[in-house]
Order: sequence, then structure tokens, then C-alpha cells
Amino acid sequence: MATLTSPGSIAVDDRRANRPDLTLVGLQVLLSALGLMMIYSATRFALERAEEFPTFTVERQAIFVTAGLIALYLVSLIDYREYETMIPILYGVTLLGLAAVFLFDPVNGAQRWIPLQWFNLQPAEFAKVTVILTVGYVLALGTREDEPLRWKKVIQSGGLMLVPFVMVLIEPDLGTAMVFPFLWIVMLFAAGATWKQLSTILVSAFAALAAVWRAGLLEEHQLDRITVFIDPTIDPQGIGFQLRQSKLAIGSGQLFGKGLFEGTQTNFSYVPDQETDFIFTAVGEQLGFVGGIVVLALFSLIVWRLIMIALSARDRFGSLLAAGTAAMIVFHVFVNIGMTIGIAPVTGLPLPFLSMGGSFYLATSIAFGICNSVYLRRTPVPGERYRNRTR
Amino acid sequence: MRTTARITVLLGVFIGLFGMLGMRLWFVQIAEGAVAAEVTDTQAWITISTPAPRGDIYDGRGNLLATSRFVPVVEVDRHLVERDQAENLLRRLSSLLAIPEAEIAELYEDAGVNGVFEIAAVDSVDAYQINEQLRDFPGVRIKRVPQRINLVGGSMAHVLGHLGLPTELDLEERPDLDPNTRVGKLGVERIYDEWLQGTPGELAYRVQRAQITEQRPEVSPVPGNSVHLTLDLPVQEVVERALAEGIELSNEWKAEQRRQGREGAQNVTERGAVVVLDVRTGAISAMSSYPSFDPGVFVGGLDAGTFSALNESGALRNLAVSGLYPPASTFKAVTYMTILEEDVPLPASVEGVDAASRVVNCDGRLELAGLSDGSPQVFTDWYYPNIKGWLDLGGAFEQSCNIYFWSAALGMYQAWDETPRETALQDMARDLGYGSQTGIDLTGDAAGIVPDRELFVQWQQQQLEDPDAPRLLDAARLETSDPWFGGDLMNAAIGQGSLVATPLQVAVSYAAMVNGGTVWEPYVVDQIRDSDDQLVFGNSPTVANRVGLDPEHVRSFLTDLNRVVTRGTAASSFSDFGASLSEVGGKTGTGQSIATADNHAWFVGVVGISDPRYVVAVLIDEGGSGGAVAAPVARQIMQYLQGEELTPITAGAAAQ
Repeated sequence: MATLTSPGSIAVDDRRANRPDLTLVGLQVLLSALGLMMIYSATRFALERAEEFPTFTVERQAIFVTAGLIALYLVSLIDYREYETMIPILYGVTLLGLAAVFLFDPVNGAQRWIPLQWFNLQPAEFAKVTVILTVGYVLALGTREDEPLRWKKVIQSGGLMLVPFVMVLIEPDLGTAMVFPFLWIVMLFAAGATWKQLSTILVSAFAALAAVWRAGLLEEHQLDRITVFIDPTIDPQGIGFQLRQSKLAIGSGQLFGKGLFEGTQTNFSYVPDQETDFIFTAVGEQLGFVGGIVVLALFSLIVWRLIMIALSARDRFGSLLAAGTAAMIVFHVFVNIGMTIGIAPVTGLPLPFLSMGGSFYLATSIAFGICNSVYLRRTPVPGERYRNRTR
Repeated sequence: MRTTARITVLLGVFIGLFGMLGMRLWFVQIAEGAVAAEVTDTQAWITISTPAPRGDIYDGRGNLLATSRFVPVVEVDRHLVERDQAENLLRRLSSLLAIPEAEIAELYEDAGVNGVFEIAAVDSVDAYQINEQLRDFPGVRIKRVPQRINLVGGSMAHVLGHLGLPTELDLEERPDLDPNTRVGKLGVERIYDEWLQGTPGELAYRVQRAQITEQRPEVSPVPGNSVHLTLDLPVQEVVERALAEGIELSNEWKAEQRRQGREGAQNVTERGAVVVLDVRTGAISAMSSYPSFDPGVFVGGLDAGTFSALNESGALRNLAVSGLYPPASTFKAVTYMTILEEDVPLPASVEGVDAASRVVNCDGRLELAGLSDGSPQVFTDWYYPNIKGWLDLGGAFEQSCNIYFWSAALGMYQAWDETPRETALQDMARDLGYGSQTGIDLTGDAAGIVPDRELFVQWQQQQLEDPDAPRLLDAARLETSDPWFGGDLMNAAIGQGSLVATPLQVAVSYAAMVNGGTVWEPYVVDQIRDSDDQLVFGNSPTVANRVGLDPEHVRSFLTDLNRVVTRGTAASSFSDFGASLSEVGGKTGTGQSIATADNHAWFVGVVGISDPRYVVAVLIDEGGSGGAVAAPVARQIMQYLQGEELTPITAGAAAQ
């Protein structure tokens, strides 16, 4: 299948190399199906009240899922090594997209979206994939596994990460922006950065953070979210209310949950943003601790698959792409679920494959497509003409 | 470290993070899950509270005074209103209830998406019609809610009190109070609110998609407990009528005074109070304050204008327990008792005072060589230029001779000044309940003032520290080192000066002086019974203080009280009392009003000279004269209590 159209690939000997990671795709399909049910349960009554079709949002999301799976398939056809030449273009397009959001009116005080015909494109979500590609490329290019990472590489990759980071920060979208440095640190670690380099970065990051805090550059709502996270009682009607309702809904699910479509809290809109950022409340309430653990287990399997892809990749670039994707999934899952149960601050990070929304679903699918491409090309095919610059 | 090793480390770290999430999830869902489930369960239910009917109020004979009736109310539950029907519904309700649509729409919006609200109370015919017409409208129902109804109109209004919505202060004190439930604002309704309130019923259901999906069995409201008062409706009716007639009489009497060109009768008399107290228990048999009000006007809620008019007229004040007046000559009873109990010496070397024989020449004028400043002073008695002749204590009490009591005060001042005994009179007054709250189970229990040197020094300091504060002492006293003069004690001895007390305090003190020294804590509620007529609270007489009075002194006091109505200052008002005149007594009082020249009229009557039963305290604010105006009012009430035929209330002879 994939290999038939893959450029430069004429493999027939190694059949294993040609098979995509169907486990990874299967996990994505499972989580997406669960997400559709959760979105339906969380939105149908609100839609009925608004005299809309109760399946309106779920149908929309189903279209994103379909589009995502198609994107995954198409992206996996492209040899990931081809990106080496495309990266400057991809990076430039991403920056243009991030700049374009400022052309449109703010929504709830933030400029994060490009309104399209029937959905709002969020360039920051795609920028995560671009950052994985770019940082991976810089760290893999001309470096050797048996040598420590050079400072030049750290600074180059850091600079390329910082530009989209700052652009997203001023949208403002603190939560999404924080994904970029996380990806960078994880990829630096995977690429063999020394402990000295890593600790220098962490210390300067904290110093910068302290300076920003002192200078009062953080928006009030960002400070609120951090302070409310520390003490939810200070704002019981705003974010504190959201947190409290979220924890109540999840807690009330207890061991086995109230049953699908039986969640009184999430089905009757007691939790704000329950179909997007707080979708996990619907899981926790309706499917209980067991359902929550199943979701965590599915994500663990995804992370395990991505790490396996990273380990089996034929080159450093492929390894770093898969490791970066794993880092992105982990960051989203940890911060998103963590915030619904009160161990992470409230940010606008969606839960991969479960939260309603198009941009991040498509971006994640593309990242998974790239990882699949890495997997498909994990072993050299005899007679391959592709030049290997990174080894 | 090699890339593969590092990536393997990453896997461990990532799975570790997920493990943390799992543990936290265990804590939230398993360890604390049951608590959360309980909270969310209550969130999912809509609970409609059914107000409980307030407990009934009865008089001491079992006459029903206040009860509750059910009135229909239109209630809208937004859970059950379909979106597209809302506008239509509001229009229909507006035309049915004759309330502007905008007003209902506002209530509708204010109730919120998940709200239940009441629109209006309607009469039963309207309720029936609405029920018929709104059959197709889900979410609208006619609810029957209890409403207070007062069966005796404005009678006993100050004792019963009225209802109103709780204030923020009320809600702060009682957080479980429903802000829409009416609570007592005054009197028994307020003091016994928690007994009367009852327990609201509950109707709980679960609504999904504007349909009731589940319903819990309805919990019926438990009606409030019924309160049985000590007051006696027939006595109360006599009291209220007599007081109203007394106010009228006062105005006629004042008009007559003005015709004769006398001073001190300028204002229209419009206030008064009566207390009838059982001297054996401290139970209130009747209590009235004039002007009164109808608690019924508060039922539907009162507009601000009507309320402030009512408030300004003073009709909401219970003068019997809150009105502070100089007790005037009625206080001579306390001085009388002090003279006997403390063996007070009369002053030596004062002309017209025979200290050895304990008699005083009541010739209308008391000349003193001078008090603190040494200049001669002349005190003129109320009956001057008439003379009463040489009188002993009993005679002086009978004739309300100020000179005698001034002399006694002077005797105390000269003999005991700056010794622990200098406050013998004030101590007696305080022992009898003056200067402190009576402890009655009603609102507005005022304490009054018993002046002494300590208080005057305190006032002096207060005024020197804050010259802008209301003046408590005249300017001359601010400059002296000792602001307490002998004249102040003389004033106190005849119930004037800074001494002020409520009619209830005066009644309580008289009750103690005639019952042998028991100062009761007066009360109006005898017992409280639940809706099954089971006794839940029984009040019993409470002793506030016991004053050891010599029974001989009590006896001579009773005899002298009787002499007041047979030969003394109230004799003319009691001439047609009836056969049992020997069984009643009392004391007149005419107090100088500080605000105006019009005097406050007092009479404190005692029913049962051989076996005291009741004290009847009558006060007519700026009534003019105790003997002429207050005594006839008390006389008619005492006639009723003695079973005599009631004779008309006409002016007696003017006397203090």
C-alpha cells in the first residue's frame, strides 16, 4: 500500500517495513470514537434547548475525525526525510498563519483563530507539528550520536522554537505556548544534550519567568488561573467554579461511573466547557474511575507505540520526530486531565482525540502520520537512493 | 548517554506522569467520590419548598387571635417551559393577571434558566380560571400558600406584632432562613418566630428536557406551633377602649384648661399605654399602646410611603415597654418604701419639718437655706397656693405632697451624703427593676435611667470629652467638680429629673411592692403547643429579683394606696367605683415632659388590697394630669377586673 507510491522506495524484500503502525492508528480510532460519544452526551441537551439538532456537534466532530484519518494516511505516504528540504517553507507558512490571527477580531479577548467557512482554524495547533519538525531537523542535522550536543545546536533550535512561542504568547494563549518549550526540552534531552546544557536552560527559564512575573507582564486571567489552581476557593463563581464543578462531576462518577448518557452534571451543562477542554469530566462522570483508567491506559499505549517508533527509526531525525510527538501527547494529556482533577492549572489545552475541535485533531493526526512515515521507513531498503545526511 | 537509552528514559517518565494522574483520579473518584456523588445528586434535583402555615396565636382563654389561611399563588417553573412557548406564556399570564408583560418577563429572566418564581397572589375565582385556561401550559401552576390573618384587627397589635421579609441581618443570624419566607418583625411574632415558623414541606423532582423524569414522594409541611398568650381578650378589649377614651378625655380636658387660661395644655394628646400585670406571676393580662396599627396591612407587603407614614406616627412603637417617661409621683411609692425600709431620717432645722414626729407641713412651699451654693431656695409644691397641712408619710402619699418627699430626700442627702447609703433610694429603685430591662418576651424592652452621682460624673466626662454629643447635663454642671446636687436627689424622690422608666417597669415595681417583694420577669406567652396540641413549651413565672420587704410596710403601703382613691388625689375619679372601692388603690402621677409644657398623666392602680391580684399602669403621653385624665381610665379597667359595673370615663380633679 503505502510503499507503492512512496518515492524512492522499491522495497519488496522487507514486508515488515511496509506495514504501518496499525496499533497506533487503532488507538487513535478508539479514542476518537469515545470522544464522539462524550461530545454527544455533553452537548445534546444544550443543543435541543437552542433548537438545534442534538447531533450537530458530534457530526461536525465526526467530519474532523474522518479528515484527520485521511490526513494521517496521506502524510504517512510522504517520506519524512523529504521534510528536510521543506522545513524552511513549512516554518515560514506557520509563522504567517500565526501572524494572520491578528488580522481578525478578538474572541473573548484573544486572537487565536482564523475564521474559515465552517470552522475556526487555530494555527498554533499546527505550529506544534512545525516546531517538532524544525527542532528535530536542527538537532539531527550533522550531529553524531557518540558526541555531545553542541551549544550552537541548542541555541539554533531554541531560537526557532522561541519565535512561534512568543507569537502564541501574545495572542494570548499561555497554555498552548507552553507546549513549545516542553517539546524543545524533551527533544534536546533525546538528542543527547548534556546535563549542564539542560540545567542552564532550566535556570535561565526560571529567571526569565521570575522577571516576567516581577514586571507584571502576565495577563490578569493568566495569574487568576495560576492562583485559582493553588487555592480554588478564592473565585468560586469563575474559574474556581469551573474547577469545583469539574472535580465534583468526575468524583461523582466513582468506580464505574453513572453510565453512558447518564451523567447528570456533564449532560446538563453543570461544567463549563465540558465538550472541549473539560471533556474528561464527561468521561470521569459517566464511565467512572474504570473508564478514566482505560483512557489513561490507551494514552499510555499510544506513548509506548510512539517511543517504540522513536527507538526503531532508521535515523536520528525520525527518532526525534516520534519522541517530540510523544512529548506533545504527554503534555496535553497531563495538563488537560490534571486540570480537571485539580493538579494542573486551568489552560486551554485540548485532550488529544477526545476534545471537540478541528485544528488540534488535524494537527495531531498529521503528527501521527509523520510518525507512521518514520515507522514505515525504519529499515533501509536495498537499492535505496535516498541520501542520508543525518547519519 | 545514547539516544536509545534517553528515549527509553522518556518512556519511563511519561508513563510515570500518567501514573500520577491515575493516582489522583483514584483519590478524586474513589476516596472522595461518595461525597461528590452526594453533592451532584442534590444538584440534579429541583426542590420546591412548600411553605408551612404559621402557628396560630391564642389568648389566655383560648380565643383565636391570629391564624393562617391558604391563598392561591401563581407559580412558574422555567424547567418545564419549552423555549418557543415562553413568549406566548408571558403574554397569556399578563392578560390573565392584569400585570404588565414586561414585569412578568423581568421575573422570568431573573429566575434564570433553572428557576422557579411566584408571580402573584390571586383570589380563588381567578385561581380557578387560570387553572382552566393554563391547562395547556406546562410549568405554570396554582400553588396554595399560607398567609397570616389577624382575627382581632388592630387589637393587641404591639404584642402580636407583624410579619415581613427577613432583613439581611436576619439572614445573617439565621442562615437557614428562606429569604422569601415572612418572619416576625415585632412582638410575639418576632420573639417566638422560630416556634411559629413551622417546617416547610418539600417537593423534589428531576427534570430532563423539560420533562419530569423522576419524582420523590412529597413531604408535607409541618405547621408551626401555636402560641397561647397570657393576655385575656375581654380585659384587653376593655383596656383598649378605655385608653382610646382616655386620649379623647385628655383632649377635652386640655381644651377646658385652655378656656380657663391655664398653661401646660398646648398639644393634641395622641399617645398612651396601659399595662395590666398579674402581681402573683408577672403574667401580662393586657397591654395596649396607642396609636395602634393593623398587622394585616403588612401581609401583602407594604409600600415605602405607607410604611414610613406608619413608622413616623409612632404606631409601631409599643410605648408600654419602650416608652421612657419620668414616672413622676407614681415613683413616690418607691421613695415611700425606701423611707420605711431604710428608716430615712427627716432633715433637722428645716422650717416646716418636724424630724422627731416625722411629719411635714405641706403648706405648698419649702424654703431651704441653700444647697451647694448656699443661696436660699424655695421649692413650690403643685397644689400651692392651697395647703394640705401637717402630714405624716401616709398622708403625704395620699395627697401626693412633694414637700414630704423632698424633705426625705434632703434627709438622706444630709445624713448619708458620700457614704455607701447615699444611694439608698436608687438602690431600692434598681432592686425593683428600674434602670434595667424587664426581660419581657417582647421587642423593644427599654432599660430606663436611675440617676446617681456615679452616672452624673460619667455623663459629665462624656460631655467634656465630646462637646458635640447630645447634652445630658446642663452647662453649669460641667464646670463643677461634683455634678450631683442635693436637688437631684430631691427630684428623683418625686420621680422627676433624669429618672425615666417605662409603664411596664412601673407596673412591675408596684407588683413587687404589693406582693411582698417579688420582682417578676413579665411575660406574655403562657405556653406553646405543636400541631397535635401537645405542650412543647410551658412558661412559668420567673423571679427577676427578690426584695426583702417588711410585711408591715407592705400592708401600710396597700392601705395608703387605698387612701389615695378614697380620700386622696384620685378620690374624685373613683367616687363612682362601686361597692368594692375598699379593695382597690393606686397612685396618681403628673410628669413634666422635657420636650413641651404638657405633662404626662400617670395612674398606677392596684386591684385587691386585701389580696393583691393586678397592677394597672396607665400612661397618657402629654395627657395633662394624672388625677384628672389617667385615673378615670385606670378606674374603668379596675372596675372590670373587680366585676363592678363600668362607669363613664370623665375627668377627675386635677392632681399630681
